[in-house]
Amino acid sequence: MSEIHIDVWLYGELARFGGAAPGSAFANPQVTLPAGSRLRDLLAALNMRSEERGITFINGDLSAMPGLQPDLDHLLQDGDRVAFFHLRSMWPFQYRHGVAMAPEMQQAMLSSEDLGLHHAYTQGEDKKS
Amino acid sequence: MWFIRINMTDQTYKVEEAPAEYKYLAGRGLTSTLVAKEVPPLAHPLGPNNKVVFSPGFVTGTSAPTSARVSVGGKSPLTGGIKEANAGSPWAPMLADMRVKALIVEGQPKEKDKFWGVYVTWDADAGKPKVEFFDATPYTGQNLYDVYPKVYEKFGEKVAIAGCGVAGEYGYANAGVVFDDMAKRPSRYAGRGGLGSVLGSKRLKFIVLNAKGAPGVEIADKALFEEGRKKMIDALRTHDITKPKGGLNTYGTAVLINILNEAGGLPTRNFSSGRFEGAPKIAGEAIFEGNKARLGKELFNHACSPGCIIQCSNTWHNEDGTEKTSCIEYESDWALGANCGIDDLDAVGEMVQLCNAYGLDTIETGVTIGVAMEAGVIPFGDAKGAINLIHEMGKGTPIGRILGSGTGAAGKVLGVTRVPAVKGQGMPAYEPRAVKGIGITYATSTMGADHTAGYTIAPEILGVMGKQDPLSPEGKAALSRAFQATTAFIDSSGHCLFIAFAILDIASGYQGMIDEVNGVLGTNWTADDILKFGSEVLKTERAFNEAAGIPKEADRVPEFMKLEPLPPHNQTFDVPDAALDSVYGEL
Repeated sequence: MSEIHIDVWLYGELARFGGAAPGSAFANPQVTLPAGSRLRDLLAALNMRSEERGITFINGDLSAMPGLQPDLDHLLQDGDRVAFFHLRSMWPFQYRHGVAMAPEMQQAMLSSEDLGLHHAYTQGEDKKS
Repeated sequence: MWFIRINMTDQTYKVEEAPAEYKYLAGRGLTSTLVAKEVPPLAHPLGPNNKVVFSPGFVTGTSAPTSARVSVGGKSPLTGGIKEANAGSPWAPMLADMRVKALIVEGQPKEKDKFWGVYVTWDADAGKPKVEFFDATPYTGQNLYDVYPKVYEKFGEKVAIAGCGVAGEYGYANAGVVFDDMAKRPSRYAGRGGLGSVLGSKRLKFIVLNAKGAPGVEIADKALFEEGRKKMIDALRTHDITKPKGGLNTYGTAVLINILNEAGGLPTRNFSSGRFEGAPKIAGEAIFEGNKARLGKELFNHACSPGCIIQCSNTWHNEDGTEKTSCIEYESDWALGANCGIDDLDAVGEMVQLCNAYGLDTIETGVTIGVAMEAGVIPFGDAKGAINLIHEMGKGTPIGRILGSGTGAAGKVLGVTRVPAVKGQGMPAYEPRAVKGIGITYATSTMGADHTAGYTIAPEILGVMGKQDPLSPEGKAALSRAFQATTAFIDSSGHCLFIAFAILDIASGYQGMIDEVNGVLGTNWTADDILKFGSEVLKTERAFNEAAGIPKEADRVPEFMKLEPLPPHNQTFDVPDAALDSVYGEL
């Protein structure tokens, strides 16, 4: 197979990267990429910088959060569902403890400070006293 | 500090000095301690020996941000165990301003047809609160949105009102205790566990407070309190989740709908799937954009109670720009939306408004309707049918009473095996098969399935786990134990649980919470003391439940979750019983 088809979900203000009209709460574009594409290639195809996105899922597996994005080299497969959330979204720790994670995300959490026991991974770093 | 005891047997009251032994208890810590001490564990929840205890938190009534919470405790008609439910409302700081540590409603009148209200004011001459009884029978049998304005008319605009709706008058196990919000809506609920019916069983319809002239909360060390308060404000104002125009202020708690849906953990059609195709249409993003389209401008959320700087309470508007309801919380949105297969925000908003009007817990109501849909009473996705069932509950018809009895009881009556409840309490909006950590908390909480029982507030609690892998069942159980203990402390502090979002990531905010409480009490509590305080509260609650006949074998998720793989991840709940037992076994 020389092409793969990705079911992309873009939430909140990210809907604009899926061609949605202003005021749309989400967009669901179908993106075709060359086989062998990685998540960074999908971001490029959407013309979206990685910093624009926060919580990310690949087939329901958590693959990134704001400030923690180990998934850029994740190899995509035909039929994958990839969801990108805007930076005002949130997912408190206790409501995601024990969820399915992409392997690289699980590794990143376990090797991070405090084993990933945080709600967010950006401002916490410089605000800790 | 005062205890007010309201005896409904003969409509008398006592105002007494709070006993010294309770000096270092407040909020949930105090309600659970008093219930455990004064309510016989085998008392019928709707009988004369149950009590309803109200207690503001340690810092409620002070200038500490986001701290206008009141705890309500009693024996639950829903679970048969101890219950603490709490709410944010102007009512909470008024009780604290009158230096009332606990307001205890006890006894039961023989006459069943007459309902009473109490009016609590500050008696400046006596230097303590006083209570007057009034006939509340004319306020019964009605929509709370119709009744509340009449009560304000009688007592003036400066009062705050707590009470129960018709659900509490009927004795439903899913009746909440209602409080007013900042705009005088009857919309803030200590919703879970049926405590509204315990009030109703005592024929107490309303508790009206007027704190005019009251002295306010005494602060032992003002400098320390002020230091703590500033740290807390700084944390809340800078964290992405809690800051102005941040996640909660923009999208409300319903910002979680799309997240849990993508994670495959949004319980759908009575917990038969973890993903709902209609989720984006009812999510927080859709509420924000929908309001913008209908109002022609962006609308950020508001405070439910005085002094809140997170301000996550939303309002949903009709097409003509008038208000449909406030507030569509994540849990309500999910329970009455995805869980029933309904993807229409206007229908969800109408159902939230009806639950508020009748005095129903939105979570229990939605989960019970999901079970009724499973039984074929109405089809999944039938919004009109669901609205009608809530009206049936409001009218007290036979089907309404069955549904008002809650998820577990309705499931039995309707012959359903997929009944998502623990200890009889309907499960909130996180699927245990997809979010296994919260599944452990649902299973083991003293409250029955409760999403507010295990908040994460400090990374230091990892220390209590020793060298366990946090992703192993044993590690998850250890974390759940620590989360439940620290949550019992926040529920006693008077702060809203949502401060946890900021203070977990910003250590100075966590210290700020401890400083505030030490400032009020004149104590020197440390982070370790907080964990111990919470553990003691849990032990007290647990001992009550055991004496009430709830054994450790009740600490389980329903069987179907172990048998039926949940799409899209196709996982079952596979946490071993031994790990569940370790949560309290090692407390």
